Amino acid sequence: MKLFSDLIAKISVETIKMELMKTAYGTDDTFLSKLDSRILIVWYLIFAILPWLFFNKTIIIGLLLFMIVMASMSKVSKLIVALLSFSLIAEFSSIFIVSYFFGGGVESIGPLILLSTKLVIIALASISIFTSMDPEKFSDALLSFGLSGRYCFGVSYGYRILPLLFEEYNNIFNSFRLRGKMPEQKGFLGWRSIYYYLKIIILGFYPMILNTAKRIRTTVEALELKGFTYSLDNEEVKKLKLSYMKVGKQDILFLASSICIVAIIITIGKIYPL
Amino acid sequence: MKEILRVEDLTFQYPGADERVLENVNLKINEGDFVAIIGSNGSGKTTLCKTFNGLIPHYHVGDFEGRVIVGSDDTTQTSVSKLAQRVGYVYQNFEEQLVRPTVYDEVTFAPLNFGFKDYKKRGQAAIELLGLEPIKHKFIWELSGGQKHLVALAGVLALDPDIIIIDEPVAQLDPANAIEIYEKLKYLNEEHGKTIIVIEHHTEFIGDYCKSVVMMGRGYVAWHKPVKQALSRIDELREKNIFPPQVTQAAYELSVSNDTYPINLDEGLDYFSDISKPSFTTARRHRFTKKIDIEPVITFNNVKHSYRTLSKDKRVALNNLNISFYEGDRVALIGNNGAGKSTLLKMITGLIKPSQGDAIVCGNNTRQISSEDLAEEVTYIYQNPEEMFISDNIRQDIEYYLKSRNEENLDEFVDQIIETLGLEELQDRDGRLLSGGQQRRASLAIGTAMKPSVILLDEPTASLDIVSRKEMLNMIEKLEEWVKTVIVATHDMQLVSDWADRIIVLNEGEILKDTDQYGVFEDGELLSKTHIKPPQILELSRRLKMTPIALSVEEFVNRLGGEEVEAI
Repeated sequence: MKLFSDLIAKISVETIKMELMKTAYGTDDTFLSKLDSRILIVWYLIFAILPWLFFNKTIIIGLLLFMIVMASMSKVSKLIVALLSFSLIAEFSSIFIVSYFFGGGVESIGPLILLSTKLVIIALASISIFTSMDPEKFSDALLSFGLSGRYCFGVSYGYRILPLLFEEYNNIFNSFRLRGKMPEQKGFLGWRSIYYYLKIIILGFYPMILNTAKRIRTTVEALELKGFTYSLDNEEVKKLKLSYMKVGKQDILFLASSICIVAIIITIGKIYPL
Repeated sequence: MKEILRVEDLTFQYPGADERVLENVNLKINEGDFVAIIGSNGSGKTTLCKTFNGLIPHYHVGDFEGRVIVGSDDTTQTSVSKLAQRVGYVYQNFEEQLVRPTVYDEVTFAPLNFGFKDYKKRGQAAIELLGLEPIKHKFIWELSGGQKHLVALAGVLALDPDIIIIDEPVAQLDPANAIEIYEKLKYLNEEHGKTIIVIEHHTEFIGDYCKSVVMMGRGYVAWHKPVKQALSRIDELREKNIFPPQVTQAAYELSVSNDTYPINLDEGLDYFSDISKPSFTTARRHRFTKKIDIEPVITFNNVKHSYRTLSKDKRVALNNLNISFYEGDRVALIGNNGAGKSTLLKMITGLIKPSQGDAIVCGNNTRQISSEDLAEEVTYIYQNPEEMFISDNIRQDIEYYLKSRNEENLDEFVDQIIETLGLEELQDRDGRLLSGGQQRRASLAIGTAMKPSVILLDEPTASLDIVSRKEMLNMIEKLEEWVKTVIVATHDMQLVSDWADRIIVLNEGEILKDTDQYGVFEDGELLSKTHIKPPQILELSRRLKMTPIALSVEEFVNRLGGEEVEAI
């Protein structure tokens, strides 16, 4: 299975790390990123629920077009789009196969496409929001919605240590690769090699978890010294932390025009249903 | 002078521990002091420092007796959050102390948590104090180790504490960064009146920067003396496995009867130029000769490699590299961070392929062979040994390679390695639970068990105390029985001068010089260009214009004494 190992060599961990961090932190210049993060979350929730309320194909297509425009405005990274398409195709074909075996036949394709389109709408909405909003703003928005301080900190810290974990995982994975041995017989379609790689991909997580658990002790102590626990039960601090968040004219305008567009789509859909 | 910290009859025992970590400690520290705390491993240095900011007994609960008084507050009566604003703490593993994504967020985090309305101003002040303005908006994960350490210090400074405690700064940093940190600490101490407490093994830094020294025995304070007297107690320090500055050792060997000796390079220069101008003997140089008649083990032909950064710039890691390594070479790769050392090592393993040119390793072009197959010839030992512990215990880790190849009779071979590297007692333990020095030895054992021809070591002595470092050096020397070529990438100039027989100086992806000890440490221009800091005795003999320079304290002393010795 030369192809598989070549692929691993090509997609360097460095590239994936860069793409991921760019998606998370790197977009300060798009239109959406200038808006208040709480408004963005509300906007996202609307579009996560909306597609489920309609079976009218015109409306669904309208919403899809709207989301495509939004996603392209927020400069979604190619890697993310590729991942999305991959998961979509995988999901679509697996459901189709299952339904075929249970006697679904070709006619199940129609409803399946509708379902998939709805999922695409939600996925596009979420990636256009989350590429435009860095984890810091997201975490602050959750805090202002009243979620616990510990949880919100966890969200932002999780992102912050992601690149470290990536690097460490890569090194551990290479330890497995270089010290282990690939099966000499590749097996049918190289299944032995694939099985071997899948196995070490999973095994690589264990040492990483243990290493992290060991390191985190210092972090917890340091948080204590930085007054994190002190800030948790202090309303004043919370206010100070969130004082930069303001809902402005731009935010209201954005929300209002989105609702207008949706209303137009729905009206058109009612008049010209497909 | 005003007293700022007092410890009275302090005794502490961790819950579940059999022994007391601290027993009847008494100590006074004055405002504006720059104190070094020294002592062997396990003498309770870190535990003592954690009583200063109230982590003990508030956070680590245990049997606590006696009193610690910061300013006028008893720490048992004061909360950690209040104490943290007066006593700052920079951890040995400072990277784990950084919890926010960017430098600015990190530095303003603590003052924000404590609800200071002017938290931005406080953060900004700390940033300016340490000269971090240019990297203010960078992400933590983009920074070098030295920069991260400065950010950790800035995060502490933002609370404007009176006392700053730094746990082993030199251990985790390369020498140039360590000097920078100490210069900043000196500035904070002298210009801003901060009291600085460092836990430090490296007496050369103590001699350069500190004002007084606290010596700890097992759980107690043996003495607290001004730095010059402290470092001149050579016999006592050596007994505790603490090695005084090389200058001090040399002066001591030449006249045992003095009370005090020079403790840093400047004092050493004065001292030795007074007494010894005429009497240097010369020594024969052991010249480095290029081997041309044997087949190289590794050859790089016009190798070029570049990668992209976040801002999509191309960075050249290696540029037109032409070099060969031979059987029997003990190579040290030196140069700044980003000079290309790690890239070169990874290229030999085949994990990185050259963008242009060819790397031939043991007769294989790395382009045509997978890293898995190349691993039969080349072993790479990570800087962080924890990334090599993939099994439940050390013995299984050592066996992993052999077992996956179904080798027979591996027990005898594994036993032999375990014995050579002194791991008999530790072989059944998880690698993560060992001390730094033990972890390194275990990682060497894992590498050696792969029976490689070439072994590559990335910073094998980083973050080790001096005793473990000496042990490690012995182990690396033993490797030669098993392998053909050893290549080490390192910042540790003591290792370079003691061990290597070929030194390659890299700078911005190019080879600046391919030479030996004399070629590097006698070349003043090269030293200042690459910020290499030679071991003290080498630098002393260079400044005293000894030719050739002395490579060890012993050689220095012998040549001053007038005997001719052969340079190693």
